[in-house]
Amino acid sequence: MPLSANPALPQNMLSRTLRKVAGQSEIALFVSLVLIVIVFSSLSEYFLTTRNLTNVLGQASIILLIATGVAVALIGGEVDISVGSLVAAVALPLVEIMNATGSLSLGILGALVLGLMIGAINGYLSAYLRINSLIVTLGMLFLIRGGVYLWTNKRAQADTAYLDSFFAIGNGKAFGIMPIPAIIAGVIVLMVMFIMHKTRFGRRIYAAGGSAEVARMVGYDVRRIKFICFLISSTLATIAGILLASRLGAAVHTSGQGYEFQAIAAVVLGGVSLAGGRGNILGAALGVLILAYLSNGLGMINAPTEWQLVITGIVIVAAVSLDSYKKSKE
Amino acid sequence: MRDLTDDDRSGALLRRVFNSEYGFLVVVLTLLVVGLSLAATNFLTPSNAVAILHQSSLVLIVAVGMTFLLITAEVDISVGANLAFASCVVMDVINQTNSVALGALAGIAFGAGVGLINAFVTLVLKVNSLIGTIAMMMALQGGVYLYTREAVQNHHQIEIFPKIATGFILGIPVPVVFAAVVALAGWFYLARTRGGRLVFASGANEAAVRLSGYSPARVKFGAFVMTGALVGLAAVILASLLNAGQPTAGTGFELTVIAAVLLGGTSLMGGRGTILGTVLAVLILKIIDNGIIMLRWNQDLQIIVPGLVLILALYMDQKKRGPAHG
Amino acid sequence: MKSTHVLSAVAIAAALSGTTALAQDGEGLRIGYIVNYATHEWYQNVILGMEQRAEQLGHTVEVIDANLDMARQVAAAEDFMAREMDVIIMTPVNEEGVVPILRRARADGVPIVLEGNPAPGMQTVVAICDYDTGYLAGVAAGEALGADAEGIRVMNVGLPLLSATILRSRGFMDGLQTVIPSAEMVHDLDGGGNPDRSQEVSAAALAADSDIDVIYGINDSSALGALQAWRAAGLPEDDLMVVGTGAEGLAFLNEMQTEGPYQLEAAMFPEKIGFTAIDTAVALFNGEEVPEYVISPTTALTLGEVSSYYSYDGESREIQWDAVNALEAPEQCMMYASDL
Repeated sequence: MPLSANPALPQNMLSRTLRKVAGQSEIALFVSLVLIVIVFSSLSEYFLTTRNLTNVLGQASIILLIATGVAVALIGGEVDISVGSLVAAVALPLVEIMNATGSLSLGILGALVLGLMIGAINGYLSAYLRINSLIVTLGMLFLIRGGVYLWTNKRAQADTAYLDSFFAIGNGKAFGIMPIPAIIAGVIVLMVMFIMHKTRFGRRIYAAGGSAEVARMVGYDVRRIKFICFLISSTLATIAGILLASRLGAAVHTSGQGYEFQAIAAVVLGGVSLAGGRGNILGAALGVLILAYLSNGLGMINAPTEWQLVITGIVIVAAVSLDSYKKSKE
Repeated sequence: MRDLTDDDRSGALLRRVFNSEYGFLVVVLTLLVVGLSLAATNFLTPSNAVAILHQSSLVLIVAVGMTFLLITAEVDISVGANLAFASCVVMDVINQTNSVALGALAGIAFGAGVGLINAFVTLVLKVNSLIGTIAMMMALQGGVYLYTREAVQNHHQIEIFPKIATGFILGIPVPVVFAAVVALAGWFYLARTRGGRLVFASGANEAAVRLSGYSPARVKFGAFVMTGALVGLAAVILASLLNAGQPTAGTGFELTVIAAVLLGGTSLMGGRGTILGTVLAVLILKIIDNGIIMLRWNQDLQIIVPGLVLILALYMDQKKRGPAHG
Repeated sequence: MKSTHVLSAVAIAAALSGTTALAQDGEGLRIGYIVNYATHEWYQNVILGMEQRAEQLGHTVEVIDANLDMARQVAAAEDFMAREMDVIIMTPVNEEGVVPILRRARADGVPIVLEGNPAPGMQTVVAICDYDTGYLAGVAAGEALGADAEGIRVMNVGLPLLSATILRSRGFMDGLQTVIPSAEMVHDLDGGGNPDRSQEVSAAALAADSDIDVIYGINDSSALGALQAWRAAGLPEDDLMVVGTGAEGLAFLNEMQTEGPYQLEAAMFPEKIGFTAIDTAVALFNGEEVPEYVISPTTALTLGEVSSYYSYDGESREIQWDAVNALEAPEQCMMYASDL
């Protein structure tokens, strides 16, 4: 925040390079993240340890993937809140196929097929039939969860193949330090950043979300762009679902509840506009990390759940109102 | 454009019914009632009608406020958490003061207070109301456990208190009377007064309202506070119904309410909606809920069917109006 | 509202300074408990029992709430391991979902005591027998109704989401039918385990068929929600019997004391579960021989019997340790989740 508040910042090389990758609000988010780390380091002796700091990256990887997908949809001018139920649904083909065939790849394939089908339904109803995407995905949220309950008869489906590779993707650590889910999520988020900010397709997503009419006039196929946004969102949520299933060693029918709210909150905290066409993936990722380290830190000092809820709520309102205050001054 | 040629084959009469403002809802409601009466012998009985109306009344009371809010292009996700917290306040205050009236007032004031904060966050801090009220939901869910660690029990044993939820006035359950009064008042205000026209205008075209010398913010402010106060009223009934203030109550309540309002034809984008549509939609959703139990179907369908109905309703709506912009 | 916010801020500051001091307290063992959801009265009383027992033995307990989120539960276990806790107690949100974290804890050398449900790869679990609890209540209900009662019709306000609650409902019917073989379950409902949902589904079910003699709730909230639906429908309370499960908090005590239809409680003594969990955790840490299943006792209570186990003044309750510790637990349960 101090950085963005100082318009007379020297135009040195460092800040110019920084600006290229991140706008002012991303720098502010990064500073907030550092502040959170400093505060909790002083409150708990266990917070500032390599083990804890990397642990949190592994824990955050699931919401990070979901939030990145939600951010793409929001930037494209649509919203996808079916992701919380999707996370539970895709674990079913994953675990069942893996148990039946003993193949992780086939299981992942099954999960991706289901995830893409859900994304295609969301996209078709929203982009082509033009039904409001909040409603479509709200309906899908109920539908998928109910479907999961019916399919599983409300029993968790345990992984009985016990593949080491499956255990590793959610629980392993590279070089004994960095959780593998964090690496997977990190690489995928970098890929999405590249698509969104360095390719022509990324610019079209921004255009479609900013003003669909203008985008259409320029000759973009807005419906197709939005359809693909839903596919991206559901694909990322599917990968999150796979990582979660690995961490739980099972397809748990109740998992993922409320993740859609957590993801949206993090993304908006990260500066992505609900109105579409504005924000970036780096900000969304920082939003996720801020909430993750906040939650971890509050746990470290034994703050009860009710306080965690209250504080998270206040942080989100504070961040968003600060953001809208800044925009109104611009 | 494709949509216009699609329905050429359907009969003209059917199309007229469907295209009328409530046609679709009335057809669905009729089909449901007829179908369920044939399928379940106990469906069309006075006691079941009372049960359905009873269940509908809590949702309807809050849905009326939510209709106003959505018409002004705002939303309140915190109603479920607010309901739970307010029900604890109601019971606690009655325990402290031995006065049902004070408890009810406290509950309504608490609900309205939450609405006030929501309005402040949305209109002054300019936080999108979807996000602001999600944050409020979290704060209330946490806050209620700071207020009470467990359900607030009925220590006053005042005789009239259970009657708020279970009593009858002229053979009509008391909560239904409350809901009917709220719905009628809401309908009258929206459909028959200048204030109502301002509500629509604030959602459809803020700039125009401002140009004509009115403040859309003030209208929205009113809608937030009213929704909160109605949540407080619902909380009084809930506390009486459960004979306790329940911090765990109201989970998913916001989704039921919003689903009903949207199913009733209110637009998420603001500027369009009716109370009658909301009433019909609440009844449809509650009859589906009731019917699934009557038919002894798998109760998991209780979360699947509303999802389907909602998407279908919006699809029909979309077809009716032709492709929208955006 | 405003004053609560100010209060909140003050309390945050107090909590922050207070808890860190506690964490650095070096006395005895540091025991971490990952609770399923701490906002429920049941778990508050489990934690209370843990704290009372830990204090007696000179240990400290720290609690993280998974708040019904499996991913959060795994994260909490990681956090406790990063904080170098001596031993961890955990109530799985879902027993199938803790297998990998158990494996990681074993690799890390941190002993884990499960509470509630067994999971593959665990060392030990402290639990009540859900089926037995329902069964004992069923037998007691049957005896209260009289063995020659005919055509007893039951409404079960269940929670098919969890195997534990399915077991309770099944145990209740089986127990009841050992006394009254003709007893039948007329409504088998999903009340979601919470009072508002239970009230709602019961209202619909009673509208369909209100000829009911016994309401069984898989927890206190379910039984109470159903009883409120009964009242809202204006049905006569004289010949109804309501049986709740758990003795979770104050709600059932409050209702039972009115001497209405709520006559029987399948008590599960959450405080005692916490007590037993601490003993088991300490034994496990000390390398003692610990059985795979450590069972905490349950029993069915009438209003007359409640007072010997809980003293109740309308505002709070106090467990009577002597009476509860004298209860005998079975060697093993009559039926487990794996038998379903």
